[in-house]
Amino acid sequence: MVMDPIFFYRNPASAVAEGTLQGLRVAIQPNLAVEGWPTEAGSRALLGYTAPEDATIVRRLRAHGAHLSGSTYMSELGFGLVNSRAGAALQSREADVELVLDFMGEGRLAAAGAGVYGFKPSYGLMSRYGLVGLTPSMECCGVLSADLGGIRAVLQAVAGGDGLDFSVPEEEAPDFAPQVIDPPMISVGVLAEARGGLNDGQNEAFALASAGLAEVGFAVREVSLPEWSLFEVVHRIVGSVEASSATGRYDSVRYGPRAPGAKNWNEMYLLSRGADFDTLLKSYLIQGAFFQFESCEAFQDACRLRARLVGEVQRLLSEVDFLALPTVLDGVASVAGASILLDATYTAFSSTLFANVTGQPVLYMPPGPATEMGAAAGAAGGACGLQLAGPRLSDGSLLALGEYLQSTGRGGE
Amino acid sequence: MEFEAVVGLEIHVELNCATKLFCDCPNRPGDEPNANTCPTCLWFPGAVPRLSRQALEKAALVCLALDAELQPRSAFDQKVYYYPDQPKGYQLSQAHLPLARGGNIKITGEDGESQRLRIHHVHMEEDVAKLVHEVEGRVPISLVDFNRAGAPLVEIVTQPDFRTPYQAMEFLKALRSQVRYVGASECNMEDGTMRCDANISIRPCGTMQMNTKVEVKNMNSVRHVGDAIAYEMGRQIAAVQTGEAVVLQTRLWDPDKKATLPMRAKFEAPCIPDPSIPAIELSSEWVERMRAGLPEMPAARAERLVQQYELTREEALLLSAEPETVDYFETLVAQGVAPRMGLHWMTTQLLPAVRERQQNLVTSPVTPMRLAALLRLLADDAINAKAAREVLTTLFTSHETPEAIVQAQGFSQISDRTAFDDIIDRVIDEQISAVANYRGGQERALGFLVGQVMQASRGKANPKVVRQRLLEKLDEAR
Repeated sequence: MVMDPIFFYRNPASAVAEGTLQGLRVAIQPNLAVEGWPTEAGSRALLGYTAPEDATIVRRLRAHGAHLSGSTYMSELGFGLVNSRAGAALQSREADVELVLDFMGEGRLAAAGAGVYGFKPSYGLMSRYGLVGLTPSMECCGVLSADLGGIRAVLQAVAGGDGLDFSVPEEEAPDFAPQVIDPPMISVGVLAEARGGLNDGQNEAFALASAGLAEVGFAVREVSLPEWSLFEVVHRIVGSVEASSATGRYDSVRYGPRAPGAKNWNEMYLLSRGADFDTLLKSYLIQGAFFQFESCEAFQDACRLRARLVGEVQRLLSEVDFLALPTVLDGVASVAGASILLDATYTAFSSTLFANVTGQPVLYMPPGPATEMGAAAGAAGGACGLQLAGPRLSDGSLLALGEYLQSTGRGGE
Repeated sequence: MEFEAVVGLEIHVELNCATKLFCDCPNRPGDEPNANTCPTCLWFPGAVPRLSRQALEKAALVCLALDAELQPRSAFDQKVYYYPDQPKGYQLSQAHLPLARGGNIKITGEDGESQRLRIHHVHMEEDVAKLVHEVEGRVPISLVDFNRAGAPLVEIVTQPDFRTPYQAMEFLKALRSQVRYVGASECNMEDGTMRCDANISIRPCGTMQMNTKVEVKNMNSVRHVGDAIAYEMGRQIAAVQTGEAVVLQTRLWDPDKKATLPMRAKFEAPCIPDPSIPAIELSSEWVERMRAGLPEMPAARAERLVQQYELTREEALLLSAEPETVDYFETLVAQGVAPRMGLHWMTTQLLPAVRERQQNLVTSPVTPMRLAALLRLLADDAINAKAAREVLTTLFTSHETPEAIVQAQGFSQISDRTAFDDIIDRVIDEQISAVANYRGGQERALGFLVGQVMQASRGKANPKVVRQRLLEKLDEAR
């Protein structure tokens, strides 16, 4: 049998409902439950698991008339981009929108790799009901498309509470209707510390992009977050602990291959879990179990640090309306490789993971060839996209900002 | 050297909510195995827990009933351990931010003095699945029933305030009474809706040492809790006196052997905040609204019974221990039954009969309305006490009214004072020696004569009227 180059599962059916998403082809990942579809989330531990019902996101996409193209290959439980084909269905024009799990920036870096827009919604914007996840407090479904209008339409359709996930606030979902942008009334803070890891070409490209924001009239100024480097520490500790807990249910009892030769159930768990998870995820889970069982104080410290970082970002966003940060793209190739170490994975996502710690929305703008960023990045041999971040649940305004920039030819094709 | 026990209790109370704690499955653990399950309580991939509002309300009522302080903010943690009775690798509980802190229960000690036993905190948690171990042919197998998985529990953790088995038993009885009053649970240790573990250590009397404790589980009645604590105290004292160390461990109470037996080393699972369930934030207005909804609690109700119905303190405490009992009593009184008569008939006739039939006051066919109708007939002298007892027995099996049963079985008594003069005259004539004994000052002989008249009237005479009339006749004839 020839393996499909992109799709883990292709939907043989076509859309039946009418609605705002009629005609829109949406590719998802096999970590989003669709009744009757194999939902293995890229892990041998879920081999043979078929979802018994639709995830809320899926139900809403279908209700609004979207056609689900299928589910694309993904990394194990969405961690990193190893073995992932996220973005490929957009590049091959087999889908108009892709939903890609964003746990440390996977959605945004996949968008960068495909040269499209990538939107990481606020924590609590969409129901997680039916999302086979790893880190409930950090991950969400990123929305990727070459067209910001497609992202807007999908967010409008799927956002808001469903009574099934209480982490979605009870207040009304953000309004995604187009908004008028008056640049002089909007301030953008360029985060100084986020430029720390850039090479010369990337630095130059990001400087040009920032200058471009000022040129179209936004009030741009530099802002500082001295504790920027702590985002990675917090993400590693909190994320690994949540992942360790979340994968406890994969015990090979109801699905997934059961390792032979166990003398009792305890051995069966250990052997099966040892055989089912890949090295990268396994090393992450072991790290999480260490903090759970052996160093809970470090985990508690990380939780306190996380609260402080959230507060710091809120402070910055009380001074400016949005933040602008670079996205380092040159890690994308390595993180999509077949084998990768934990440290290298974190290095590759160091420019994106902050938003998974804070839960704020981020729009990734690709460096279009017409923009200064694209040209400078190309000249320097590196690539650097722009991330725009807003306060939690400012998703609608952030999209409007992106659309305004798109209309001026800045930060996108 | 004299030793004393230092005991703390951990009591799990299963809330009688309609649904489980984190999903909409019916909270009926006794149904056909695995009938009440869904992707959430089976923890399929993609499951998201949703805290039940009713469970929160019932848990809050328990806290208020125990005088515990509801916290403005509480949250769920994951208690991480791997065992087949919970399929996600952790149990959802509140380890760091419990629903309520503090609280206490007052008991009357063995010396008759009032004692206040303190509660450390009250938290919510989910129950785990039930494991059934069987043998298939010669192969031992374990079956898992998920009906109970996710059932809503509150755990009441006490301070180590208990020094005697008696205190622990009285505490549990009072706790059961208070929780039943607020309608949050049946609190029945026999069917597992209340479970108690005891942490027991010993120390020389008069010291404040906290020594190695042993956790004892598997006590299925209040009596077992007392027995297990008494046994464990003795075992630890004997160990210390022979120079043996008390080992930190979990032991099981074996009611047949009347002993605690080692189960496993004590295991403390790590607890980390759960990232999926939002923190519970309670406004002071909400708490006050819940407090306003509390019923009159046992101690206050007993006090009122003393004042309102002139019962003794002991009678009032006995009646008010169970909400169903005292509700029944007050309904009887509201139906025109004299309080003392109602109390007498409930304690001497009704409650033993209900227990004998393995019923309870709520499900018994002898409703307070029916018993009240019967007791009114007795009070009006329409029947005598013997007939009333027979009618009561019939009420357990018949749907007829007491009046209809009295009519059908000919229990009506005749209270006309001269209706049985012929019989009385005959008895006086025939029972010469009894009459002589009475006149000789033997009061008991009068009772014998009344009995003879009652027998001759085939129970239809009113014994009070017969007695009065006999006295008149005996005086006349003197």
